[in-house]
Amino acid sequence: MDLSRRHFIEASLGTSMVGALGACSLNPHGAAGLAGSSGMPNWHIGYQNAPTHGFDPAPMKLAFGKPPADLKGSLYRNGPAQFQYGEQFASHWFDGDGLVHRIAIEDGQAVHQARFVATRKREEELAAEKFLAPGFGTLGDESYSVQSSDDVNAANTSVLMVNGELLALWEAGSAFAMNAETLDTKGPKTWRDDLKGMPFLAHPKVEPDGRVWNLAVGGPRVGIYRISKSGLLEDFGMVDIGRAAYIHDWTMTERHLIILVQPWINENLRPPVVAGFEWQPQHGLQMLIVDKDDFSNQRWAQAPARMFFHTGSAWEESDGTIKFDVVLYKNPVLGVGGGAAEIRGEWTGYDAGEDGVLTQVVIPTRGDAKLVETDIVGEFPQVDPRYRGKTRRLTALTSGSTSARPGTTGLATHDWSTGRSQNFAFGDNRIVEEFLFVPKAGGTSDTDSWLVGSVLNLKAGVTEVCVFDAANVNNGPVCIWQADYSWPLGFHGTWA
Amino acid sequence: MTRTSAFIALIASTLVATPLASASDLTVNVEGIAEAKGSIMMGLFDEATYNGDGAVTGANLKVEGDTVTAVFEGLEPGEYAVRLYHDVNDDGEMNTNPFGMPTEPFAFSNDAKGRFGPAKWEAAKFVVEADGTTHTITMN
Repeated sequence: MDLSRRHFIEASLGTSMVGALGACSLNPHGAAGLAGSSGMPNWHIGYQNAPTHGFDPAPMKLAFGKPPADLKGSLYRNGPAQFQYGEQFASHWFDGDGLVHRIAIEDGQAVHQARFVATRKREEELAAEKFLAPGFGTLGDESYSVQSSDDVNAANTSVLMVNGELLALWEAGSAFAMNAETLDTKGPKTWRDDLKGMPFLAHPKVEPDGRVWNLAVGGPRVGIYRISKSGLLEDFGMVDIGRAAYIHDWTMTERHLIILVQPWINENLRPPVVAGFEWQPQHGLQMLIVDKDDFSNQRWAQAPARMFFHTGSAWEESDGTIKFDVVLYKNPVLGVGGGAAEIRGEWTGYDAGEDGVLTQVVIPTRGDAKLVETDIVGEFPQVDPRYRGKTRRLTALTSGSTSARPGTTGLATHDWSTGRSQNFAFGDNRIVEEFLFVPKAGGTSDTDSWLVGSVLNLKAGVTEVCVFDAANVNNGPVCIWQADYSWPLGFHGTWA
Repeated sequence: MTRTSAFIALIASTLVATPLASASDLTVNVEGIAEAKGSIMMGLFDEATYNGDGAVTGANLKVEGDTVTAVFEGLEPGEYAVRLYHDVNDDGEMNTNPFGMPTEPFAFSNDAKGRFGPAKWEAAKFVVEADGTTHTITMN
């Protein structure tokens, strides 16, 4: 952390903040921008409805630094963005309708736009002006029919670009195809006729050559998708993981898929789903290692009981040892409470017992796995897409927490080759979201990358997009673009 | 999974029972069929059979356009419900994905819909009058 650097950025943004606050009153989008104006705490702008039609393309202004000349592409992000109809609040953060964003960056300019994914849930609830569909943390209205998983699909968790097609991802239903330019919804994606309505996890793994792997989770049975870089399904197979464990993410090396079977079990997938989970630490954290070339060739590895949401990536050493990084919790967190209080503007306080720790899992060819903890408390671990499944140096993740409010406070990197971490603390006034690696032109290592992500500036009441140099996160952002408005906190994104 | 399997078995089963000696006719129109191929597999149930294994009667209807019509003659007047699925690939089965969810279109009388299972009898039932009845189901 470099305090002076952070304070410099705060001071620098102070002038533009005045402009930003002024702009809020003229904000054509009608989004909550003026911090604290609703009587809610200033961080509550992260949990407020986005405008019904989303956000039309609007340039962001350069508020700090100099944008890298070689940074060209789009940051696509997804996250829940409908939390309230009238006096009715959403029951769970994970059940808000997905709002897909595109921040197009070119020639030092950044333009933001966003559209809700037009799911059945979205359309019918919007028309009725109330929440109807059951979900992860929502019982739902008895009048709402459910005949397939896509009837309750919130399409709110992540995005994937395959062969120019943008997909909005959830985890218990189909991916939704979107127009990558306009963000208009095309509809649910069916990879093959006999797989219609199969779940498609929000954490597909893309090999450096563009091949996509993903899982379909349904209790103890897990489907495996192998999709070519041109977007065609090459293979689909089923494996048995023995227990109905909650699987949000997983990982893979060049040769193996690693399915983490955490002891957070749900045998009764009835809404609200979250109410059916049981913590069964006696099972430990088990990992099913599946040969990519032969799904029947499997082995199990065992680690102490931990809960997780997100992995970084894995690699295999020459002796067959598998190493991967993951944010681990000693007990189930987040999903249980699910932000229901935060949606209402309530903050029950920071509990260090709920911290997730960036950890390396080392799976030897024989014997139990070993957990090697770093000193980083954080979430949303990311790696360079050129090194997915391969030996690499860096993991980047959001870091830190504060007693003042929900959400993270900083951005960290950990170098596995040196064991050293870097961190930039934005402080209490900014909630930091997932940052993605964007390879620099001509780079030869994952340290030759930009880190691009969004930050919610609570003081100014606006959302910002920041760029860091992955090799020097300690030094703070290279540049910051600032919107004239805020948008709700999201989950995951992709760079394309 | 058990409920899903039962659901599919119920929809798929079109046991033909002996027609009853009665004068009531039922015409069932099915509209909005997405693909002009395969067959509509229809089962007609009364309250006693709706949640069981067999139908009162049934019909397999070749699909050549976006509508088909079934006529059931000689029904006892009273309450009935229809379950149907579109056997698009004509393999005689209601196809499902690996998790047991239907991949072929299905529908119920009154265009009733289920909630984590088939539509309930109360939602799908309709009356076949003594002088005959026409009922229309729209696929979606």
